Amino acid sequence: MDVFGFGLMPYRDVPQAHVDSSDSSWVTYSNANFDPQRGAEFYNEYLEEYLIYDRLGFDGISVNEHHQTSYGLMPAPNLIAAMLVPRTSCRIAILGNAISLRDHPLRVAEEIAMLDVISGGRIISGFVRGIGGEYHSFSMDPNSSRERFQEAHDLIVKSWTDPGPFEWYGEHYKFRYVNPWPRPMQQPHPPIWSPSQGSTETVAWAAERHYTYLQTFSTIDNIRKAFKLFREATDKVGYEPDAKQMGWSFPIFVADTDAEARRIAGPHLEFLFNTLIRMPKDVFYPSGYLSEASAARIMASKSGLGTSRTTGEYLMDNGFAIVGSADSVAERLTQYQSEIGFGTMSGMFQFGSMGIEEFQSSVTLFADKVLPKLKAL
Amino acid sequence: MTAPTEIRPPEVAESTVEVRGSRVRLLTAGTGDPVLYLHGSGDLGGWLPAHSALAADYTVIRPDLPGFNHSEPRKDVGTISDLAFRIWDLIDELGLETLRVVGSSLGGWLAADLATIEPSRISHLVLVDAAGLRPAGGHGVDMFVLSPAEILARTYHSQPMRDQMVAAAGERENDPDAFLLMLRNRAATAKLAWNPYFHDVRLPDRLHRVRAKTLAVWGAEDQLVPVECGQRYTELIPDAQLHTIAGCGHLPQLERTEEFLAVVAPFLAS
Repeated sequence: MDVFGFGLMPYRDVPQAHVDSSDSSWVTYSNANFDPQRGAEFYNEYLEEYLIYDRLGFDGISVNEHHQTSYGLMPAPNLIAAMLVPRTSCRIAILGNAISLRDHPLRVAEEIAMLDVISGGRIISGFVRGIGGEYHSFSMDPNSSRERFQEAHDLIVKSWTDPGPFEWYGEHYKFRYVNPWPRPMQQPHPPIWSPSQGSTETVAWAAERHYTYLQTFSTIDNIRKAFKLFREATDKVGYEPDAKQMGWSFPIFVADTDAEARRIAGPHLEFLFNTLIRMPKDVFYPSGYLSEASAARIMASKSGLGTSRTTGEYLMDNGFAIVGSADSVAERLTQYQSEIGFGTMSGMFQFGSMGIEEFQSSVTLFADKVLPKLKAL
Repeated sequence: MTAPTEIRPPEVAESTVEVRGSRVRLLTAGTGDPVLYLHGSGDLGGWLPAHSALAADYTVIRPDLPGFNHSEPRKDVGTISDLAFRIWDLIDELGLETLRVVGSSLGGWLAADLATIEPSRISHLVLVDAAGLRPAGGHGVDMFVLSPAEILARTYHSQPMRDQMVAAAGERENDPDAFLLMLRNRAATAKLAWNPYFHDVRLPDRLHRVRAKTLAVWGAEDQLVPVECGQRYTELIPDAQLHTIAGCGHLPQLERTEEFLAVVAPFLAS
């Protein structure tokens, strides 16, 4: 198994009144609540945490893009990747440049190629649409999201693989000269990952293109479903997927005993799921973002990620997070691996509100006692 | 949001017309000169008491706008102006040479755009709390971050009406067909009005071309499209007049039907 370490770089210093309220942490949560001094401390701490993954022998580090929210201070993940390149030797997975939100997707093609060349071919390029709230933050019509994603992806890949200059004349992008310098180091292009919460369209899309599908925060039942869909989709295309094409991203915490791990992880998980990711349903799933059928199903449901309160217990008991002693974490992951067949994990050891000592203790236990077992799978 | 469709009187005919490759659903009633009613974003395809009242003197034609309710979406519609050309296609398909047009909210914006494209074919134009222009200080309410119930609470001025409509929205969540129409219309609205928010920056420079007799009817307490926009329309359209209805929100044809008709019917007859 390939094991990546992940973090969102959240802004954790939010007032208790905000934690207790039902106000969104996205779009409208005022940046007056951002203190640059605290921000500097957080950034440096999170960067140090990323470097710890590399030092402890992880296969890679995952970074991610989110906008105008305390959920993550990484609107430009390529910048964070650029800081990691000279200080690491592992791979760096940019879990999602939100390419639909870009006016000029060739900027992404250029930045990824720069990182790939400078890092000697260590970059993994994830592409995402951006989540619902970001269509508010960018005032972009969510109806156009899927089409823009598709076209931006096609353009970026073509710009990496076909000699330029060529003309791109699409529905959403029209460029007379496509001829980016540099070209990427990895040929034909850096590996492409497709992170998603399990939409049928995205799973099939990744499978058809031989990409790595990365399932994000879900119940274990949904993860089983998503990988079943993925295998069905690769069957349809007519190939046997590499296990590494099936990735799973989840919060993980390891302590000496199960009880201690659950005691420490619970409140941090609740802060992540109840406060940081929180936004109203009509912001999370803006009009036109989902297909009509998905919208009818999701909008009619009374509960949902980020839109209803949950508990650490629920998250730990249902596979949203893997928490326990090193032995039980290794046992559960080994069991899930043999059952579901995933070959890539992106473990989120920093949920947001954890201090660096708690993080370090958990990730070190994991690296000593769990990582060797997972690498052997 | 409109009254439920089941109150539609028997004399109202429902039909479908094919316009340049896509189906448009129409409700039609009455005889006489044609009045085209263009609905707003929250309209779930119903027939209103105000339509029946106008049908006493006119042929009232109420299409579902392409992409809304039961009219097929069109790939070639991304803006209100695109939609206006498709409505002219519909008008031609129906064989109407000249007509009166009444448009509410998003439909009012569409009506104004329509009247700049073929000015001589619209004799009377009624803009009811029409979107399309930007208030000087911007729009206070962003309907796209609000739930349907939150939007309705800002749509009507009178508290009993608000309570009634918010309760109806709650019931709609248990009616899969109505819920789907609501989602469909919100997505169709996002496509036309997400950014720029419910206006066209070029519209003010085209409104001088309108030749129709124009009446802007506005709820004085409209929170979604403030009465300031009605004033602006009457400044930009030659010889237009504004009638405000006190103590009324965004949909006077529903909230204050009698007063709405008392001003609109004589205007259309003038």
